[in-house]
Amino acid sequence: MQQAELMANPAEQRTTLMRRIAKATEKHGLIVAFFIVVAFFSIASENFLSPKNVMLVLRQVSILGTIAIGMTIVITVGHFDLSVGSLTSLTAVVVISMHDIVGPVPAMLIAILVGLISGAFIGYLVGYLRLNSLIITLGMLVGLQAIVLIYTGGKYTRIVAPDETWFGFIGRGFLFGVPLPVIILGVLLLIFSVILLKTVFGRQVFSVGGNPTASKFSGISDRKIIFTAFVISGFLTAIAGIIMGSRLMAAQNYLGQGYEFEVIAGVILGGVSLSGGEGNIFKAFIGILIIGILKNGFLLLGFPYYFQWVAQWVIVVGVVWLDVATKRGKVLG
Amino acid sequence: MQTDIVDIYEKAAVQMHPQKKEWLMKKTVNVLLVLVMVLCVGSVAFANGQQEADVDDGTILIGHTANNTGIDSYQTTHDKVYRDTIANTEGVEAIILDAKGDVAKQISQIETLIQKGVDAMTVWPVNGKAVVPAVKKAFDAGIPVIIVNSLIDESGYEYAVGFAGPNTYTEGENAAKGMIKALDGKGDVVELMGLPGYVTAINRSEGFQDYIKANAPGITILATEPTDWNRAKATQVMENLIVKYGDQIDGVYVADDNVGIGGLNALKEAGMAGDVVMTSACMFGEGYDAMEEGYIMGSVYQSPAEDARKAVETAIKAAKGEEVPFWNYFETPVVTPDNMKDFERPNF
Repeated sequence: MQQAELMANPAEQRTTLMRRIAKATEKHGLIVAFFIVVAFFSIASENFLSPKNVMLVLRQVSILGTIAIGMTIVITVGHFDLSVGSLTSLTAVVVISMHDIVGPVPAMLIAILVGLISGAFIGYLVGYLRLNSLIITLGMLVGLQAIVLIYTGGKYTRIVAPDETWFGFIGRGFLFGVPLPVIILGVLLLIFSVILLKTVFGRQVFSVGGNPTASKFSGISDRKIIFTAFVISGFLTAIAGIIMGSRLMAAQNYLGQGYEFEVIAGVILGGVSLSGGEGNIFKAFIGILIIGILKNGFLLLGFPYYFQWVAQWVIVVGVVWLDVATKRGKVLG
Repeated sequence: MQTDIVDIYEKAAVQMHPQKKEWLMKKTVNVLLVLVMVLCVGSVAFANGQQEADVDDGTILIGHTANNTGIDSYQTTHDKVYRDTIANTEGVEAIILDAKGDVAKQISQIETLIQKGVDAMTVWPVNGKAVVPAVKKAFDAGIPVIIVNSLIDESGYEYAVGFAGPNTYTEGENAAKGMIKALDGKGDVVELMGLPGYVTAINRSEGFQDYIKANAPGITILATEPTDWNRAKATQVMENLIVKYGDQIDGVYVADDNVGIGGLNALKEAGMAGDVVMTSACMFGEGYDAMEEGYIMGSVYQSPAEDARKAVETAIKAAKGEEVPFWNYFETPVVTPDNMKDFERPNF
């Protein structure tokens, strides 16, 4: 980033209007892309910017957004977590099946515990035993899904009397007209941004992801940092699973299937560097939001389903290109 | 992407002493080898356990390779009833295998069953195209094959004696009948379909659409959106459809009740549930409850028990050398709030 700014310096001296716009896009390529997408859909569909639809989209992305916070930290520290989809299924199934046995609060605590254990297990293998996170979490993706199937015996789990418990409020409720999952996501975004930007741990995350050798020589225990990153990811995925379970008041065995890819796609869209050391939680959320908007917008426009995939792909590639090109300071060539 | 993966790998490697790295790799390889061995031994032991059924020469021996038992309650019940039916039928034994959703495994299981010399076999195909050569092998060996529950590719029809299962196209038609009746032949409908490319999803969609087009000119299908059989996705798609069409929606057709409950979540939140007519192509336990509560007006009863019984019944006929029709559908009756008391609540 700094290098890109240095390279752009001579361009800055010729301050024509175009150059100024280019400079703005350089810094905020993603934001520009976001507004282009929003502008396009609000012109194309009258319903798109209605308050109801905006809230709807925000609620739809809140679960992926919650997982994306953890994913951002894991990728920033230089690793991957492919297990989040299966862990969402597992924690949702656990919270739903436990709800009728032990009540809502203990059920949620158990689900969080499951998330923490899964995160700690991956964190130990990757952080302390130095195993490749891509392989380990790919294994967990399959393993956790298998645990779900063994646990439920293939059955749908559901809360027998959904009207007699407050548990559904977490996923379905509103506070001041804002869906509760969105508020939860907002709070988590704030907390983890502060952690990442203002604490020693946060700086160590960037340092371990950006330059592992240097950080090792400066005495940072990268094992602990990597371990913690995966535990955070497990924790947040469990929160997402709980919200999901509460939203549906039931859980299907394959509930979270494919989430890992949607989350990673969104996070990358949000400019988190795949090679580690660079990431911003809010930008990652904007990436997730773009994907959510595309899904919602295409349906509002009545796009044929298969073309939605193609269009989604084109836009993802386009946004990534715009972001990379602006960073290199070469939007205008 | 690839370079990034290499980067990460190298990053991890940088911090490791070369000897330690080598040790770690050896260790990993060792662990993997042990795992593979354990799995092999385990599967052999498991297969042996199942072979015990294969003894007598006077009895009829039927082979079965299931799609993926345990993945959902439908397949779990199907497996249980299949076993019970065999156990309760005098003079019939079975070798029951499970492909666990892996088509390569299913192909080798069909070959195993050929070697065992079964008198007939039932195959619940994991993949309609990929199993065709294996089915042909059984055909060449003179073993009648019954395809169960889901169809194989048309190129394989000539090698199979018949198909035993539900008529998913009729299920779609039956759901259309329910919709036409509930809407009195007039209104705008949206459709939540299953997973695109999957035969059941396509048939249920086409059966519904064809019947509506031919019999109810007053009904318009506004949109057909896939849900991938995923409840969470069904809720989102329905939410988006409500934003787009709002009160214009008079009816919702869903590919099964799991999708239906997902759609219902969205309708309830929009305060539209109950006013909007919902019909489903396959009834589950929760859909049964929703019908009791007045949210689903028409559904289709597909019983995994009937499905399994039909499979065994057809296989026994074929094993005895009796003439078997190609299409052996079991009944999938229409369920409405009026007649639902005649049906047991599905346990899936």
